[in-house]
Amino acid sequence: MENSIYISLSRMMSLRNKMDAVANNVANSGSTGFKQQRVLFSEVLRKTSMTEKVSLVHDRAMVRDMSEGPLSATTNPLDLALRGKGFFVVDTLNGPHYTRAGRFQLNATNQIVDDDGLPVLDRGNRPITLPGGTTDIRIAADGSVFSNASPAAPVGQINVVSFNNEQQMKETGGGLFITDEKPQAAPKDTRVIQGSIEESNVKPVVEITNMIDILRQYQGIQKVIDAEHDRQKTMIQKLGRTA
Amino acid sequence: MRSLAIGATGMQAQQLNVEVISNNLANSSTNGFKRQRAAFQDLLYQNMRRIGSTSSDAGTIVPSGIQIGAGVRTASVYRVMEQGNLTVTDNKLDLAINGNGFFQILLPSGETAYTRDGAFQLSPAGEVVTANGYKLAPNITIQANAQDITVSPTGQVQVKLAGTTTPSTAGTISLAGFPNDAGLEAVGDNLFLATPASGSATSGNPGSNGYGSMVQGSLETSNVNVVQEITALISAQRAYEMNSRVIKTTDEMMQTVGQLR
Repeated sequence: MENSIYISLSRMMSLRNKMDAVANNVANSGSTGFKQQRVLFSEVLRKTSMTEKVSLVHDRAMVRDMSEGPLSATTNPLDLALRGKGFFVVDTLNGPHYTRAGRFQLNATNQIVDDDGLPVLDRGNRPITLPGGTTDIRIAADGSVFSNASPAAPVGQINVVSFNNEQQMKETGGGLFITDEKPQAAPKDTRVIQGSIEESNVKPVVEITNMIDILRQYQGIQKVIDAEHDRQKTMIQKLGRTA
Repeated sequence: MRSLAIGATGMQAQQLNVEVISNNLANSSTNGFKRQRAAFQDLLYQNMRRIGSTSSDAGTIVPSGIQIGAGVRTASVYRVMEQGNLTVTDNKLDLAINGNGFFQILLPSGETAYTRDGAFQLSPAGEVVTANGYKLAPNITIQANAQDITVSPTGQVQVKLAGTTTPSTAGTISLAGFPNDAGLEAVGDNLFLATPASGSATSGNPGSNGYGSMVQGSLETSNVNVVQEITALISAQRAYEMNSRVIKTTDEMMQTVGQLR
């Protein structure tokens, strides 16, 4: 009896989640290294009688668009962007986290750290410490860090890793991702670019059209519920009269 | 609905962005000013359907769950330490650094501050001081009978005294360098202080490895690129509008719910 209302409700609930995802994308349209997110929907079949099935909608998963965001030049020596697949590795109390937001700086002990002070790890999973007296830092495309205080050999090499299934990664906020998958060395064509950062890959036009679409669908479903309400009212009135 | 609060975080972030841009524009003709940029990060996430949770009796797992973000926050407002343009002033005590390094200034409190603003003057006692009267460190005193001052690219200050033909050395200007210039703390009056993020200062002579050379009779203008700031202002304003659009759409959706019978 009430099925059409429940079906409509399932869509309204999922549209709300979709709107939340769009709102988060728009809010993060200026966040360094942010990847836009989408909610995936799927049909859920429910048996209502021996012969009848109704299909409800269910938000199934969140996928993210891992395409590269545009580069923005800052000329800061510790602003690093990645071109190609890959992530920087930062150390946290909960183990390594991965990020594409290469806004790095130095801490009190001359280690390279991210915005939140988490140390950036090298190939051997150790923090990178610059020698004292460094006034000029050069970072090569393969992540090797050179300091003018010890020009002979690189001070360390920033670790860049990649994963087979990037969709299985999970955002933890602050531009960081975690995953259960074991990291592997990034493909050879991934380059570290010094003096630039990767902007978010949110496309505002797409988000705004999505938003309009969500609103209209939401209003459309309200009409369906209204119509169902009217139908039930008429039914009760007519049946009531014959009785 | 979460999107209301998310839209609000977006508007706050863009507001801060506009504030940073307006400070850059206001200082577009400040000597030695370094422009700032606001950097943003995503906030926490809420798990609606946890990644990796079991989805059937056969042990299959959810490959990518549903995580809804809670908006945006400002990660940092940092300085872009790119060199500004050099303008020729022909003033003997206007010094510019072409390359890395900062002038060291002794504050009245005894602390050392750092600046790229090389508009120096002489104090009544003949000391080289900033526009605020703070002494250059290590201090250089110019004798009262000096007729001409020359500063070499390596920072040597030489004066020609009245009645002599050979110039005498009054001192050498040394520069301070930092591993991370962007980590310096601005304290106003074109001055910066060292912080743990900038690393500790090392001093060296102009023109040596890692330090820029000294240019006499020139000043370093701010590195604010007005056209760039205006385009950043336009995109910040549009981003602000889009976030307010999110709030408006959410409002309309809530209104739709209110109209349900």
